Amino acid sequence: MIENLQRILKTAWQGLKRNGWLSIACITMITLSLILFSSMLLFNYISNSFINVLKSKMDLSIYFQNNIPEEDVLKIKDELLKNDLIDSITYTSKEEALKNFEEQAKYNPALEQALNLVGENPLTASLNIKAKNPKDYDKIINAINNSDFKDKLLQIDLTQNQRIINRMNTISWLIKIVSLVVIGLLVFLSFIISFNTIRMAIYSLREEIEIMKLVGANNWFIRGPFIIEGIIQSLIASLITFIIFAILMIVLGVRLEMYLPGLSISQYFWSHWFFFFGLQTLFGLLVGIAASTFAINKYLKV
Amino acid sequence: MSLVYFKNVSKSYNGNLILDDITFSLEPGEFVVLVGKSGVGKTTLLKMLIRDELPTKGKIYFNNQDIGKFKPHEVAILRRKIGFVFQDFKLLSNKTAYENVAFAMEVAGYPESAIKRDVPEVLKLVNLEHIADHFPYQMSAGEKQRTVIARALIQRPELILADEPTGNLDPINTWEIVKLLIKINELGTAIILATHDKEIVNTLGKRVISLENGKIIRDEKEGKYII
Repeated sequence: MIENLQRILKTAWQGLKRNGWLSIACITMITLSLILFSSMLLFNYISNSFINVLKSKMDLSIYFQNNIPEEDVLKIKDELLKNDLIDSITYTSKEEALKNFEEQAKYNPALEQALNLVGENPLTASLNIKAKNPKDYDKIINAINNSDFKDKLLQIDLTQNQRIINRMNTISWLIKIVSLVVIGLLVFLSFIISFNTIRMAIYSLREEIEIMKLVGANNWFIRGPFIIEGIIQSLIASLITFIIFAILMIVLGVRLEMYLPGLSISQYFWSHWFFFFGLQTLFGLLVGIAASTFAINKYLKV
Repeated sequence: MSLVYFKNVSKSYNGNLILDDITFSLEPGEFVVLVGKSGVGKTTLLKMLIRDELPTKGKIYFNNQDIGKFKPHEVAILRRKIGFVFQDFKLLSNKTAYENVAFAMEVAGYPESAIKRDVPEVLKLVNLEHIADHFPYQMSAGEKQRTVIARALIQRPELILADEPTGNLDPINTWEIVKLLIKINELGTAIILATHDKEIVNTLGKRVISLENGKIIRDEKEGKYII
């Protein structure tokens, strides 16, 4: 039994070495499939975190009338915080609002002039509200409109936000559906391509398989080395893919994050490297074993 | 007890009758020459003996067992008991001469020690020990055929089937192969040699079964090539 296993392993290793070009072709195809597969995993992460970034940028601002004292505003803030739908509230006082405005006005002489013309602080205190779930902004706005402090408010930044919220919800739903379909399609495609490459490699060895049968080899003795070869090829391909991605992350990861703030793609990759490597290997093994078993069985009919 | 017994065996492909009602038997250690023109069905007859083909009608017995009833693993064992020498060699192209011969022992589950002992011995018998590490593409036709014979021999088969083994060889190599087959037969292995080489048949002076139009037309103890 152990001797047979050793022989199968030895034969598999010889097959890999002596059919070098065939092995390289198979490994290349599996590697390409795995790159596609892993890219899809990353793309899925990117699209998800992109949606999250956009969602976290959404907020709701309510502006108070000029004569409302600070304590009233803070009381309203505490009252609002009791609402389960609200995640956090930031208070901006009249003075802070002015400071922020002045900061912006530095780079815009027209604004600076306007401010000087007015003479006093024209800005109002405001509360900036973030919801736990972007879908709930509607409900929060309703709650504010029905509250008893409604007449203390100058303005609710409502119409603009609502439009963005609706669009965001549609877009995020669309991105999810489209990326799922694309991922499914590409993974299926890469599976089929690797599958056929291995099948063709075995097809080119069908005469050898026939000879082994004529010499009296039983089916497992013939099948074993081919399946082991498939496994070894998948493992090599998986390792190559992982190295390629690791290099890409080191070289490109930081630059990508500069363009898309809030996207910690390399951090995600390194904290999930085991998941990536495992899933890749699993995918590769699935292709390798399925293809060689299927192809070999076709030529093994006794 | 016969080693091989063909009982009213017929074989047809797509309605074309290739072999028609073949009946003969072979005793252990016997040497039989199967003659007939190309395409008369000699190869088909030999292939049916290792169950590479199944008869359309009739039964084939090896050691009194109906090989038509064999399960796949029994077919594998049958093929280890019958050595086959093919005209087109059928060597594994990515294995050396040594490995090709050793492969036949490996499939039969021989231990490594037996392989290391027997393979060099058999390679010496067919005079190939000097090219043991050559791959088939590095060998001449004669060397390939001797490797095939070594492979057929290594499992100490009870029967060797040689299908036009000299078909691709020059006269000198042809006689070396024939002499080798005679030597193997003298050591006790039965042989069925299919050929259409008149000179070989007439020189051998062994039992000759002549095939024509799918039938046995002659079966003589010390036969000649007459067709």
